[in-house]
Amino acid sequence: MVGVFSENLEREICIKSMCNSMAHGGPDDEGFFYSPDDRLVLGNRRLSLVDLSKNGHMPMTFESRYYITYNGEIFNYLELKMELGKLGYNFSNHTDTEVILAAYAQWKTLAFSKLKGMFAFALWDSMEKELYLVRDPAGIKPLYYSLNSSGLSFASEIRAFTHISRKPPREPWEVYLMAYGHIPEPVTTIAGVKPLPKGCFLKYETVSERDSLQSFSHYSYNETYKEPLDIRNRVSSVIEDSVKRHLVADAPVGVFLSGGLDSGIVALLASRFEQAQLNTLSVYFKEAYYSEKKYQDLLQQKLNCKHHQFLLEEGEFNDNLPHIFKAMDMPSCDGINTWFISRHARMNGMKAVLSGLGGDELFGGYPSFSRMRIARNLQDRGANFMRFGKWGNHKVLKRMQYLQIEGIHGIYLFLRGLFSPDDIAKHLDMEERQVWEILSQSPVYPNIRRIHKKNQAGWMEFNMYMQNQLLRDADVMGMIHGVEIRVPLLYEDVIRYANSIAPSVKFQGKLPKQLLVDSFSGILPREIYDRPKMGFSFPFQEWLKSSSYVKELLVDSGPVLKKSYHDFLKNKMHWSQFMTLVILRQKGSLS
Amino acid sequence: MTKPKKVLFLTLYVFGATGGIEKVCRVAAKALFERTLDERMKVKLMSMHDSQEQGDSNRYFPTESFFAFNKKKLSFIAQAVREGRRSDLVILSHINLLLVGWLIKKISPKTKIILFAHGIEVWIEQSRRRKMMFGCCDHICSVSHFTARVVEEFPRIGKSRSSVLNNCLDPFLPQKTRGIQKEQLRKFYGFSDTDQVMFTLTRLSSRERYKGYDKVLEAMVNLKSKYPNLMYLVAGSYDEKEKKFLDDQIARLGLTNNVKFAGFIPDETLIDHFSMADLYVMPSMKEGFGIVFIEAMFYGLPVIAGNRDGSVDALKNGDLGLLVDPLDVHAIERAIEKVLTNREAHIPNRSLLMESFGFDAYKRKFKLLLDSV
Repeated sequence: MVGVFSENLEREICIKSMCNSMAHGGPDDEGFFYSPDDRLVLGNRRLSLVDLSKNGHMPMTFESRYYITYNGEIFNYLELKMELGKLGYNFSNHTDTEVILAAYAQWKTLAFSKLKGMFAFALWDSMEKELYLVRDPAGIKPLYYSLNSSGLSFASEIRAFTHISRKPPREPWEVYLMAYGHIPEPVTTIAGVKPLPKGCFLKYETVSERDSLQSFSHYSYNETYKEPLDIRNRVSSVIEDSVKRHLVADAPVGVFLSGGLDSGIVALLASRFEQAQLNTLSVYFKEAYYSEKKYQDLLQQKLNCKHHQFLLEEGEFNDNLPHIFKAMDMPSCDGINTWFISRHARMNGMKAVLSGLGGDELFGGYPSFSRMRIARNLQDRGANFMRFGKWGNHKVLKRMQYLQIEGIHGIYLFLRGLFSPDDIAKHLDMEERQVWEILSQSPVYPNIRRIHKKNQAGWMEFNMYMQNQLLRDADVMGMIHGVEIRVPLLYEDVIRYANSIAPSVKFQGKLPKQLLVDSFSGILPREIYDRPKMGFSFPFQEWLKSSSYVKELLVDSGPVLKKSYHDFLKNKMHWSQFMTLVILRQKGSLS
Repeated sequence: MTKPKKVLFLTLYVFGATGGIEKVCRVAAKALFERTLDERMKVKLMSMHDSQEQGDSNRYFPTESFFAFNKKKLSFIAQAVREGRRSDLVILSHINLLLVGWLIKKISPKTKIILFAHGIEVWIEQSRRRKMMFGCCDHICSVSHFTARVVEEFPRIGKSRSSVLNNCLDPFLPQKTRGIQKEQLRKFYGFSDTDQVMFTLTRLSSRERYKGYDKVLEAMVNLKSKYPNLMYLVAGSYDEKEKKFLDDQIARLGLTNNVKFAGFIPDETLIDHFSMADLYVMPSMKEGFGIVFIEAMFYGLPVIAGNRDGSVDALKNGDLGLLVDPLDVHAIERAIEKVLTNREAHIPNRSLLMESFGFDAYKRKFKLLLDSV
């Protein structure tokens, strides 16, 4: 979806190209709303999942006053529709889109916090002359905007903005990419283009050309629930309810099956409601060490549904690498597996797929949950010594330098950073001091020390890693194939409940995510949770080594990059680090 | 690039009390939090009396940066001073926090201190020690011009270090649209459709009788003959002594059938109460600002207020409603009659109201103020 408010009406032409640049995510329909008097154009490419008829055409209007262009799904729209119906609202179609419009007509901006789901939309109130950009509280759907003297433009992908300004001014995004492996909000690759913060709306008054950013919903941690038995029951019921809601669609829905705990739970619950139709999807590898096939098979036996297994091999991986790079909206070191599985889903006729994303962040599935205490201690006691890490040759020692950066920011880069500042400076031919300056100044994160250390880890994974890496990759790589990736573990009720469980209960037990295991022990096969942790293990290291595309890309590279390639070939560099260098080279940022 | 600006917001209560000052604290905290989303700014909020749980699940701001001290005054002061020293800007939401501001300024003179001045707490005669401490404030921000005039008399403050930041409407106030329980509520209180209902919402306290409801009762005596359907609903918790005083007055004035007391009404029913009434009247003497006036106007009610306090700001010098001398019963009577004869003409101008007291407007003014200090 896109939109422009501007003095300059020839923008209408560019909005078509903005919109077309995102045609992959909305293959089913195209529409524009154009109001020359208001100097406003809204555009949309539609991927239809609920009410597949032309009734769902967008931009949609309501009471000839409200207009909307919208991406996503509202999973409590039926309840809202009923409530609004009792208040006297009439509906002309079966979409959730119309429910958003009626909800706004009734509750104005208070309507936004009533919507539960994954959404990003622009709503135009033609009477009040107010345009609202709105994004869901978990930040599942993206929405970017740019405000300047000539007006406001917005789009759900960064690439759309390249159609507005021919030579967009540059941000030092390469430094962020090398440090984080992605570009963290609010940084983007185009200066002046910002993501709308999750749970916020931007109100733009087109007459006065004034804007106001407001938060309508946010997630915080508290320790309200302490009784383990009640908690287990509630965790299972709240997730079950969410999965059920996420299956609502008039088009075929599938479930990604990684072989892990979270997607296993989602699939097992989904099969209760969708036995006739449920499709599961998985990727596996010939290389036995990396393959989760054994676990996928095990779940599949229990599920008794239509399973689509897809063998990813080296040849296909390397053939598609250039397409994957092209698919990225902003550079990212990950998302490859999502690209393949989404393509596989689409090839099998699915338009929406459920994923277990969010379980690790909410219930403590990452190593950071146990490392936070040590990281904080190191940061507090020896931040100054950490600079000597630079002289060491060990990955962890090098990353320890990041603990000099104050707050959760430094901890994140220590635990999850890709390259250390000296390595970044070397590759990008910058002064190390500049790298430090860029990384320590932005983004600005709140001080979260008040909360329990494990919740600090949860905050970090939810607001940093999941937000900037996982959700962005899932959206971009899904939409490129016209597949909506739905995340039932990030339904509002699940997040609010998980964030209100006392850490002593939430993180108890031997296994990571023990609470999830205990809550679903009745349906989960033991082998799924009682197994060696694989993490994100893919045979990409080996495949990238022999990639002719990569080889060709790195011909004539400078000595620094050459040395890195050499290190990678000798297994001294992880594939995600190397992938970052390949992307930078491909974008012309590395010599 | 510069370091992010560190702001410390110190409060007595944010959630634990229901008065106007707490409303201001919640809204100001939300405005500050929203600046952190878009600007290079970090905000910490400390509350002396609230408990941590009271902040849980609040809609105004995330609680990671909310520190509640649960009435532990010394611990609050120690932490606030420690944190204030590291901050670029400290906002004291109440004059009772002046000591903390003064200590911070002593230790860290470059930290800017802003004090919020509301109403009666600054109008009263201040102790010598406190007068001395006003010097720590780089700026005092009053909720109305009435309060600002008092503040400007403080030693070392004057006009240059004083400004007005009017209170605003809570952005979470529900809109008046479909589904209002107007008829049911009228029936509940025994009012008919044709009754003309005046409404006052305030705490009824024998110790602070300055809200003017007793004067409204007196004004009703003459009006009653001309407007037999005139009714008066007074809502808000009351003490027994005040209730007795009012019951006696009502009986004496022969208004028993025309006046109803609602007692405490929960926030969720406010919209229905405002929607049910025809007129909001509260010729008060000691309002710092009077948030209730702008709330009544938000729901489209004509408003009558006193002209001797901060209410003058809430009614935009009379542009949004009628200002009367709160001691002049005849003036109150005339104002009520004006509204009763032509109610439409006295419905407040919504765009002026939102432009003056909407949350957006508040945020813009608050930002200008903080950036100028």
